[in-house]
Amino acid sequence: MGCGTMRSFLALLHAEFVTILRDKATLAFTFAFPVLFVLIFGPLMGGSGGSQAAHIGLIITDGASSDVLKEVITYAGTITVTDFGDELALEEALGKQQVDFGLMWNGGSLRFLYDPSRVQENYTFQELAQGIASAFDLRHQNLKPVLVINKVHIGKAAATNWFNLVVPGILAFSIFSAGLFAVSGHLTAMKERKLLDRLVVTPMRPVTLLAAIACVRLAIVYISTLVTLFTAIGVLHLTFSVNWFYYTIFVIAATLASMGFGTIIALLVRRPGSASNVANIISIVMMFLAGVYFPVEITPSYLRAFSKALPLTYMANAMRYVTGVSDMTLVRFWAITGTLFALGLILFPFLARYVVRVDRR
Amino acid sequence: MKAILLVTLERLTTAFRERVTLFWFIIFPMFLLVMLTLIFGNIGKQGQMSFSVALANMETSSGGPADFSALVESIFQEVAKPTEEEEEPLFSLAQPAAGEDKDAFIAREKEAVRLGNLSALIVIGNGFNQDLMGNITGQDSATGSQSTITVYQNQGNTGSEMATSIIAQIISRIDREILAKTGRFDEQKAVPIETDWIGSAEGEVPYVDFLLPGIILMGFFLTGLFGVPESILFARDRQILRRYWVTPLTVPRYIAGFSLGHVALCIVQFFFLYLLGRFAFGASLRFDRIEPVAFLFLSSLTFLAFGFLIASIAKTANAGMAIANILNMPMMFLGGLFFPISGLPPVLKAIVFANPLTYLAEGLRVSLGVETGALSTLLTIVVPLFWIALCLLIASRRLKWDVGR
Repeated sequence: MGCGTMRSFLALLHAEFVTILRDKATLAFTFAFPVLFVLIFGPLMGGSGGSQAAHIGLIITDGASSDVLKEVITYAGTITVTDFGDELALEEALGKQQVDFGLMWNGGSLRFLYDPSRVQENYTFQELAQGIASAFDLRHQNLKPVLVINKVHIGKAAATNWFNLVVPGILAFSIFSAGLFAVSGHLTAMKERKLLDRLVVTPMRPVTLLAAIACVRLAIVYISTLVTLFTAIGVLHLTFSVNWFYYTIFVIAATLASMGFGTIIALLVRRPGSASNVANIISIVMMFLAGVYFPVEITPSYLRAFSKALPLTYMANAMRYVTGVSDMTLVRFWAITGTLFALGLILFPFLARYVVRVDRR
Repeated sequence: MKAILLVTLERLTTAFRERVTLFWFIIFPMFLLVMLTLIFGNIGKQGQMSFSVALANMETSSGGPADFSALVESIFQEVAKPTEEEEEPLFSLAQPAAGEDKDAFIAREKEAVRLGNLSALIVIGNGFNQDLMGNITGQDSATGSQSTITVYQNQGNTGSEMATSIIAQIISRIDREILAKTGRFDEQKAVPIETDWIGSAEGEVPYVDFLLPGIILMGFFLTGLFGVPESILFARDRQILRRYWVTPLTVPRYIAGFSLGHVALCIVQFFFLYLLGRFAFGASLRFDRIEPVAFLFLSSLTFLAFGFLIASIAKTANAGMAIANILNMPMMFLGGLFFPISGLPPVLKAIVFANPLTYLAEGLRVSLGVETGALSTLLTIVVPLFWIALCLLIASRRLKWDVGR
């Protein structure tokens, strides 16, 4: 790199840095949103993966024996029980979501009561109810289960917390969005405002501008992932055993690849202004279908197949690996990281051509 | 009146000419309705979930009527078969090939569980049949033990946890079947089980019926939160409003026409979303009653007022959009529009209860018969009205209809 190129690179770096610092909206998106995602989406989607915890409202009709039922409930899962005197009170509590489902025992039959509007959670509650009913059936005839399941956990100890799984996915998503919008938001906006046309007539080389944008974005994205990670550790008291070398390499590769995907969008859309809308749709699709918040196994088969084609699926898995949450072979990690690097580098020249390309009329 | 209607027409025409408006206010809500219904609409239903599971039967004393290990194996094989044509089985089951070393198979599948490529590995140990027979005959003793089936899972993989939970249910049913076959469990004395639903619902509410009111409100919300301040602030910043004020058009007439245009836009949004939900996903909601229409109208006014509030707080159009973006996500996702909001921590619950969307969403769903309602009907009306009054009070004092000279 000649002195002139280095000087223009440093000037552009400074300009990009100041621009992004002044752009409060982009800063809010990059720093605050991932944290918001963790704090909001985590608790919201926490039930989608299934849980053995529930709060039951219990009615035992006068005269009916309750010892066996209560003992069965105790062993069914992490269940809190509130006793109710009558069905009306139980229904009211159910409607107000003070209990998750109701159970009534009159000495002859078991009746389970649900709130039909708890659409996402009723499946889990019905599973619990089935378990209680099965166990109670046996105990009612003075029988004990002869079969029991012995669960053996294989994997990282840190992965046993739901949020431990969510946070790396959110980190991957924030890297993906930041890289995507760096091109199909920021760069396309420069294109639309004719700023790129003005820069191109100067001795500045397009690759210099792109390098400056990439460097600033990399730095901002890396810092933002650290902010999110430490917020998760500080506020949610999570533990991660991060391999910082792999983490750094992966963040760089993922950011470059995301900018590459933004390039594809910018090249394909007719108007530069439409690029950010397309990027928004793509990022929302990926957020829901990449297994970030809930397992893809609960989705229909065509959506599961679709999720295997999404880059964010692999980014989220790799991020879980580098933060020590789940396992992956080293070969697979380097294959993912290498592919992301390659994507970013291969698409770089196309991005440079986009910078100098005359707008379609 | 003519001036008001002309402003209304201007609002609508501008909105539909802007591709960005069309995208965010109509296409995006439709897209979200489609995606969320496809993802969450079939949770738990047969043929919609599928987990990859492996099973190894290490029992060596097989054959005969007391071959319980074969019974367990056959039940899991049955679960792995599709029940109807084109319906995906709950499990895709991998087992050792004929002649394959079972220990090597177990080691390989355990590694697959650890790496997340397999949801669970079920192992029926050697001596299972004899052990189980002993437990069945020892049922009467106070110290009767249980035979175990080992399930290797990865608690770091939610799919693995779900699969294990389902496996536990299946084993519980196998348990009962074994006890029934050996004459210990009397099916005639089985406890009858009933399932009921509160409210007037005959069964579980389809997810699309829960979601559609939320998506409609989201559309209104986006129109109010983004569309209103954007229109007013950009028109002000570009001095378009200043040109209006030199005509006989007064501010109150402009506001009336603008508001009418906003309501008309919401009506268009409603029809697009309702038709999609009804004909593509079979939503069965009925909006031909006064209560749901009243809540939709109240929602439209609430978000219009919110839009005026943002327009009055922001100094420039870009600042207005930034404020709207910051408010958008917490308000939308903590208003119960897409997912139930029970079980949230106290801090988030405080946001939920301050959020007018919470009350509007609940009021609309209760009026449609989708839920019985955790909040009182009075609250679902009074709180949005309070927000309308508050927003209009602040906007009336702060909103500048012209840029400073």
